[in-house]
Amino acid sequence: MNARRDWRALVTRHAAATGADLPRHTLDELAAHLEDIYTDAVAAGRSDAEAYGLAEAALAESALATVSRPRTRQPDARPVNEISSGRGLTGLSGDVRFAWRQWRQSPAFAAIAILTLGLGAGAATAIFSIVDSVLLRPLPFRQPEQLVSIWESHAEKGLPKEKLSPVNFMDYRNTQAAFSEAAAWWRPEVALAEPGLEPVRVSTIETSGNIFEVLGVSTQFGPGFPTGGPLNSRDHIAVISDRLWRQRYNADPSIVGRTIEANEGQYTITGVMPPGFNFPDDVDLWLLLDWDLTRHSRGAHFMEAVARLKPGVDAGQAARELAQVSGRLGEEFKSTNGGWLARPVPLLDDMLGYYRPALFVLLGAVGLVLLTACLNVAGLLLARATARSREMAVRAALGASRARLVRQMLIESLLLAGAGTAAGAAGAVVLLKVAIATLPASVPRLAQTTIDMRLLGFALLVVAGTALLFGLLPALVAAGTHASEVLKDGTRTATGVRGRQLSRALVVVEVALACAVLVASALLVRSVTRMMQAPTGITTAEVVTATLQIEGAKYQQWGSVEHFYTTLLDTVRRQPGIEAAGAATAIVLQPGWRIPYAVDGRPPMRVGEAPIAQYVTAGTGYFETFRARLVAGRFFTDADSPSSEPVVVINETLARRAFPGEDPVGQRLVSTVDQIGPLGRNLMFTSPEIQSLPFRIVGVVGDIHQAPIGQAAEPVIYHPVRQFPFRAMTIAARGGDTATVVSGMRQALRTLDPSIPLSNVATMDERMVTATAAPRLLTAVLTTFAVLTGLLAAIGVYGLLAWTVSERRRELAIRLALGAQPGALARLVTKQGLALTAGGVVLGLLGAQLASGVLQAVLFQTQTTDVAAMAGAATLLLLAAFAACLAPARRAARVSPIEGMREN
Amino acid sequence: MSTRNALGEAKKGSAEVVILAIVEHEAHHGYEIAKLIEQRTQGDLRFTLASLYATLYRLEDRGWIKGRWVEKAGQRRRCYYRITEPGRKVLAAQREDWSRFVAALGLVAGVKYA
Repeated sequence: MNARRDWRALVTRHAAATGADLPRHTLDELAAHLEDIYTDAVAAGRSDAEAYGLAEAALAESALATVSRPRTRQPDARPVNEISSGRGLTGLSGDVRFAWRQWRQSPAFAAIAILTLGLGAGAATAIFSIVDSVLLRPLPFRQPEQLVSIWESHAEKGLPKEKLSPVNFMDYRNTQAAFSEAAAWWRPEVALAEPGLEPVRVSTIETSGNIFEVLGVSTQFGPGFPTGGPLNSRDHIAVISDRLWRQRYNADPSIVGRTIEANEGQYTITGVMPPGFNFPDDVDLWLLLDWDLTRHSRGAHFMEAVARLKPGVDAGQAARELAQVSGRLGEEFKSTNGGWLARPVPLLDDMLGYYRPALFVLLGAVGLVLLTACLNVAGLLLARATARSREMAVRAALGASRARLVRQMLIESLLLAGAGTAAGAAGAVVLLKVAIATLPASVPRLAQTTIDMRLLGFALLVVAGTALLFGLLPALVAAGTHASEVLKDGTRTATGVRGRQLSRALVVVEVALACAVLVASALLVRSVTRMMQAPTGITTAEVVTATLQIEGAKYQQWGSVEHFYTTLLDTVRRQPGIEAAGAATAIVLQPGWRIPYAVDGRPPMRVGEAPIAQYVTAGTGYFETFRARLVAGRFFTDADSPSSEPVVVINETLARRAFPGEDPVGQRLVSTVDQIGPLGRNLMFTSPEIQSLPFRIVGVVGDIHQAPIGQAAEPVIYHPVRQFPFRAMTIAARGGDTATVVSGMRQALRTLDPSIPLSNVATMDERMVTATAAPRLLTAVLTTFAVLTGLLAAIGVYGLLAWTVSERRRELAIRLALGAQPGALARLVTKQGLALTAGGVVLGLLGAQLASGVLQAVLFQTQTTDVAAMAGAATLLLLAAFAACLAPARRAARVSPIEGMREN
Repeated sequence: MSTRNALGEAKKGSAEVVILAIVEHEAHHGYEIAKLIEQRTQGDLRFTLASLYATLYRLEDRGWIKGRWVEKAGQRRRCYYRITEPGRKVLAAQREDWSRFVAALGLVAGVKYA
């Protein structure tokens, strides 16, 4: 203490000089402070002048004007009692703000987590909704579960699903033990032509009169087909759809009783079906069958059928009954029925066809996507949790209660869950719209699909549950661990090890799921490729096709039909840019009529035992247009006219079967059909002796695939259009430029008859693509899912490794210090990542086999054990995992030995 | 909120929490407080005369600390500051905020998640 110094005066002077007006107490305090500085400095051995200088300097650097003590006490801005209640900044709103900041600080993490959850929940909800609407909801018929379709199959001939012979149908219908009633129909080509209305082609079935009774639906007005009436009648009555009634007849209430002209016949409308009813698929016109189902051939398969099971009878029982009937018929009528088996298919399954197993595959895949998404987020949160265990421990040590920590983490998780569910809901809406827009309109009931709220709720619950559960882990981990342990070394605690083990397991499962989805999509890719490469016997390149239906008084006579097509093809051929043109009743992939035949001059077979061949009418130039292969003889020419000898071209399969070791050219075939029903109307040879009419074989053509992709080749007999004309044909023209070819076709048609529309114009390539649309679509969606899950798995691998590397820095640094090469460390990390992935891949490959049952249903000539597909999926995943390893491995290699040692 | 702002806010708040912590268990006068801060922060945190007393008066105004004048024989009278009950609660709360802030800094600066 030094009395020589007047510290108070010094402060007062300084205050006055800087314009500070300080109260007395403050002057005293500051003076005492300066004195203490001085005294301590002197005590520390400084000289008097130095010590005084220090005190002066302290005063000089202070802006005393800022030390103005308020004369009166102002109430504080924050009330004291709020602080004492522990709320305010530190309360709930503080927690929310803090949580928000936490996510803002790791935007990549938050974005990946939210995007993952959103995509997972969105995709799952969209697909679930479609499946629910398309697959699971009952059909709008009376007791729809009792309804079955009936199909015939022939294992030896490789025909899995064929239409019925009308005669066989009548036998099946009489299987009283199984069916209470059954209806059958076929699909004629029908154009409506009425005075004053534009001619239009309508999708039509000609059906037994009991169809609506079988289904349990009735007209919205009009009597419809007579209830309990005959299966067929010469009355010519028709029922129309609500859609046709509104579009063509302007919802005319007096429509019932009106006569319409369908093809050659006049039909009286007796009813309008309710809106939305277009059974069996897209039908607008139901004509009452006008011929007797029993008076036909057992070998002609062209009827479709629906039956109602008797109460208490299930599809399995009905299948056994039908198999019995089939077996009996097969023995009784060997040639027509031998090997044929009738089987019932639940109506809904049947209407969905390929889409049923496809949707189940999608459902499974999307379930895996959702699961992978959740596991991925769980893995990320877990890594974060362990990394934050230190922070948690510090906060616990500073006095934060367990409840407090849990609350904080709960809020963070809630924010994530909230964002995830919002993204999921948005994803569901968007993805469903995309799905409905992309899926073909032919998927039944697809358009009625809306987001199912229960399903959305479920998916969001899963998402929110994941975010909450794994988001809370850090707090729970911290609560269960001794703070001191964590603080000492976060990497060595039991929690860290447990967390890493759990994370590893998560990554393995993720990889396994991704692998399963990848295998499925790889199998489909292989399958679709095979479909596209399946031999068709033709060259599709540069060929444009269009369908044509001629009608009206001008073409009543078959001669005029023949003349029309001959002239048309001739005209088309003369158009510039067209190299070849032809026409056929059934082009590639479309089966013709299946009708019995016999070789002329061989001993006659018993009726019903004759072999079956497809009958197709082809115009001159048809084979040339498609560049079909001529095996022997010649193709048709215009010289094959109604007045010349009836001729046919047969395919190789028929030549092999009917003429083994012989030259078929020059031989003659006869049709053994005794009554050919609807086909009979089209025949130019309408004499009753048709069964004995011989056709000279003039050529053999290489097999053209006249059946859906995947079915075996069948014997086919081609007739020239001039001798066996049809009104509905598909015309085909070949030329270098599609637009020129199309306009050439239109031009030719215009010059001939401007009233006839050219419909379904498409290149042959487009038709091939359409034929494989369903599996392609499934492949596209599944591939998207596969890429998604693969990406998630790669992110999982990356996350785990990045985290492991940052946790193991110290260990890595010690290894480096002990002489390990940085490259070895990188390899160590990469090896770990690849080992986990390999484990997941093996699990995934095995898992995919579990789903082989449902997968096989959507595959074409591809086994679920397809090595290339499995190898491809495995390679892709390992590559993705390797890419995911790169960054962490590089980081591991760059750890500095010193940096690692410094860390505590 | 940007990190820069958070740091600014933090620095301003740090003076208060430091002083509260110093006078938590024992009453100290201004000079002692300044010395203790310097010691405990190893010189990282230093107050000027003006900022120290401005902060002390602000804290007293809010009722978080209470100053008491003590006169000892042969010495100048000095004002000894001690934490109040409300001050303790604020300190506890601020400690938690601080630890969070430190954790947040850690997240920003170092720890990265995938």
